[in-house]
Amino acid sequence: MFIQISGIKKSFGSGESRTDVLKGIDIDIEKGEFCVLLGPSGSGKSTLLNIIGGIDSADEGYISINGEKTADMNEKSLTMYRRKHLGYIFQMYNLIPNLNIKENIEVGAYLSDSPLDVDDILKTLGLYEHRHKLPNQLSGGQQQRTAIGRAIVKNPDILLCDEPTGALDYNTSKEILQLIETVNQKYNSTIIMVTHNDAIKNMADRVVKLRDGVIRKNYINETKTKAADLDW
Amino acid sequence: MKNPMSKRIWREIKGEAGKYIVIFLFMTAIIGVVSGFLIADESLKTAYNESFEKYNIEDGNFRLANEADKDLIAKIEENGVKVYNNFYWQEKIEGGDKKLRIFPDRKEVNKTSLWEGDIPSGTGEIALDRVFAQNNKYKIGDKITMKGKEFEIVGLIALPDYSALYEDVTDFMFDSINFGVSVLSDEGIKDLDSANIFYSYSFKYNDPPKEHDSKEAIDMGNDFLEKLRAITPLEDYVPACSNIAINFSGSDLGRDRIFFIFMLYILVAIISFIFAVTTSNTIAKEATVIGTLRASGYTKAELIRHYMAAPIIVILIAALVGNVLGYTVLKGFMAQMYLDSYSLITYKTLINVSAFVDTTLVPIAILVGINLIMLIRKLSLSPLKFIRRDLKRKQRKKAFKLNTKIGIMTRFRLRVLFQNIPNYITLFFGIFFANVIIVFCLMLNPIIEELEKGTVDNMLAANQYVLRMPAQTKEESAEKYSMVDLEIRKNDHTDEVSVFGIENNSRYFHEKLDGEGVYISTPYAEKYGVEKGDTITLSKKYSDKEYKFKVAGIYEYPSSLTVFAQREYLNEVMDVDKEYFTGYLSSSKITDIDERLIATVITKDDLTKTTRQLKVSMGNMVDAFVVVGVAVFVLVIYMLAKVVIEKNTQSISIAKILGYNKREISGVYIRATTIVTIVSLIISIPVVDVSLKAAWRALMMSYSGWMNMSVPITVYAEAIGLGVVTYLIVAFFLSKKANKVPMDEALKNVE
Repeated sequence: MFIQISGIKKSFGSGESRTDVLKGIDIDIEKGEFCVLLGPSGSGKSTLLNIIGGIDSADEGYISINGEKTADMNEKSLTMYRRKHLGYIFQMYNLIPNLNIKENIEVGAYLSDSPLDVDDILKTLGLYEHRHKLPNQLSGGQQQRTAIGRAIVKNPDILLCDEPTGALDYNTSKEILQLIETVNQKYNSTIIMVTHNDAIKNMADRVVKLRDGVIRKNYINETKTKAADLDW
Repeated sequence: MKNPMSKRIWREIKGEAGKYIVIFLFMTAIIGVVSGFLIADESLKTAYNESFEKYNIEDGNFRLANEADKDLIAKIEENGVKVYNNFYWQEKIEGGDKKLRIFPDRKEVNKTSLWEGDIPSGTGEIALDRVFAQNNKYKIGDKITMKGKEFEIVGLIALPDYSALYEDVTDFMFDSINFGVSVLSDEGIKDLDSANIFYSYSFKYNDPPKEHDSKEAIDMGNDFLEKLRAITPLEDYVPACSNIAINFSGSDLGRDRIFFIFMLYILVAIISFIFAVTTSNTIAKEATVIGTLRASGYTKAELIRHYMAAPIIVILIAALVGNVLGYTVLKGFMAQMYLDSYSLITYKTLINVSAFVDTTLVPIAILVGINLIMLIRKLSLSPLKFIRRDLKRKQRKKAFKLNTKIGIMTRFRLRVLFQNIPNYITLFFGIFFANVIIVFCLMLNPIIEELEKGTVDNMLAANQYVLRMPAQTKEESAEKYSMVDLEIRKNDHTDEVSVFGIENNSRYFHEKLDGEGVYISTPYAEKYGVEKGDTITLSKKYSDKEYKFKVAGIYEYPSSLTVFAQREYLNEVMDVDKEYFTGYLSSSKITDIDERLIATVITKDDLTKTTRQLKVSMGNMVDAFVVVGVAVFVLVIYMLAKVVIEKNTQSISIAKILGYNKREISGVYIRATTIVTIVSLIISIPVVDVSLKAAWRALMMSYSGWMNMSVPITVYAEAIGLGVVTYLIVAFFLSKKANKVPMDEALKNVE
């Protein structure tokens, strides 16, 4: 199993104000799988994604990636783990304002020993003609595409997406989802996407529904729909 | 692959050009001045040290009443020395009281150093000491008249045995305004009045001491004096080690080095804190980007290097440009500070490695140290915290509680104040340091004037005659005194103290001296914390012999460290004849003693030489340092207050959208800074006073003598006034900046 999520528990606060956000999560994800974590606000999906990404820690349980447990890693090893294996996409694009589009993607490429060709990525993302522009000269969709470019340019094994379309309109959201689908297929990246948009589950290989910190459903989507055909 | 993040460093510098240019210019100027000073100081000191050999400076000189014949010279030379003629003439320049000591161009010892023009070659030509000429505005080509004869100034020179223009080694202070040295051609010398000739001879040891100012040199000087006395009567004798005209400038060179370096380091520390505060603000602004980068695998070290790069580049360039300026333009300017006071010989600029270390490597180390600590602390937060913009180390459970009876605008202002406590702490220290510089500079003149006034008001007598050998007078107001120079030895520090033996019921000393009780001067009491009833211990120079005196009282005598004893008692203690005396105190001029028996006459003019010379030496420097102080003030306030506005750009924008007017917005975001600035200005004054008193005491303890630090209240008022006026100007620009915040700022980057 490529990613093994086993018995993850996480709570915030203490005493009376203690909130159990994750109450024992077990998921197995295959290499190259497109997994969607679905659930309402407060269901614990972003917390789970952050624990998988090694930027948060679990109180109990473990995450194993390719046989390596993240809990056994110290801060330095975790940083190296993220550097070598992970790409992150957030709802807000978090681009560096005074670097142009190409340079923002190069920021991701720098982290990899075998990055993808930046110009190819720019072309794939439809950003090539905008490559010399600064982030604030682009639309939200273009900025999110840049963030995706920054995440995928280092050719990560796993792409973690936290509500990547949360701030985008319908058409732009679909464009971004198509792009993530392309990345999944073209580079065989394992994708874990957090969303509260129910329609997106249809493009996933695996759907995990969370509510109140527990898994309500975890199933393989047998009738996968192309991102272009999604509707909501 | 080169880190693409490095591309934004230049853009960041360009984006914050104002901040970086101001810091760059400030640091360049400071590093340039300090580097220039250190280079000048080292170059002059080296030239001075080398001058002993290069200009063959004498090992000592003695003066005879008449010219020595060959036999006498030969007899003297049998005592391990070579003797050289060092005859001089002394004349007054017509049209004033300026005295000129005239030498021929000495070819063997104490050779002339030519600064400008030529050495006189014919009659009617003269070369003047450069400093004396400068102080009296004489230029090459000008003419001076002595004894009715006109001389054209053809050159400006320095004589290595007069690097400080002391007319006599017993003088309190050199006086480069009223006393100068000069060189005439051999023909010119022949025309001088032979009545004014002084038969001075220089000598060099055949086997000289290793160090010219060592104990060995002192012992050799004393030994030779004994031998010389046995051969011929002397009018004067000064070994080089005791000749302050030769040594004073050398001991002063390098003395201010620590002060300059300390000032540089403090300024660099302040700039480093400004960088730390502004970088911390940038980190807060870029928190989500940092979080994303960290989540993507960027290491803390990479981000630390990135955020450290711009300040280091700016300081490094400032240090390099500062050093270039130091070696070129400012070296001359800083050397001039010494050259305005001392008649130093010509010098060559030397490459100074330690100056580079002090002005470049250490400032960078300070900057890196302070910013590294801040960055390690800031960036130690988890990526998640950055992504959530949760940059507080400890989560405050509830908002800081403020009494709701306080008006909303005041509460608003207080929140801004509490939000920016690190900025305001740095601001306080910046204001404190600026005030230290400003008050220090502003207080110097009043201190010197107070000393001058105190010295004049408390003179023992209008004329204090120091005799070379006992001589009697019929002058009625004359009163005999004896005097001996002893030393106060405390820890490693030695201070010279004059002990006066005063007549019983003296008309010039206004306390009753009874037997063994002595009075000490106010500077002595203040410097060493001696009180009435204490016992003081004084030592004989170059000896282990000690003398103990019981203090009967403190006498107001601000000019020097002095002890007053009954003459008879002092003579007894010093084991000399009870009638022994060394001079006269007299309200009138004594006219019946041969001038050659008088070593010196100390008048009001002599006692104020020190203060006059201090004013000349420090004049330009004081003004320059006030400017530095104001610059620090402006820099600190503007940079830190700017951060407060930048931090709150979005809030200011929202306030504008809500309908707050410019005055109300300034009332919240600028007035918080105004309150802190004014409070810091006021609070810093007593702290400055205490700090300066401690620093002044430490400074005075390391110098010989004592100047009381009495700062008039007007100086502090002036410092606060200067601060307020400067702040008002800065606040004007800050208001403009706050007013420029666009309303759409609030609509951007909202998550």
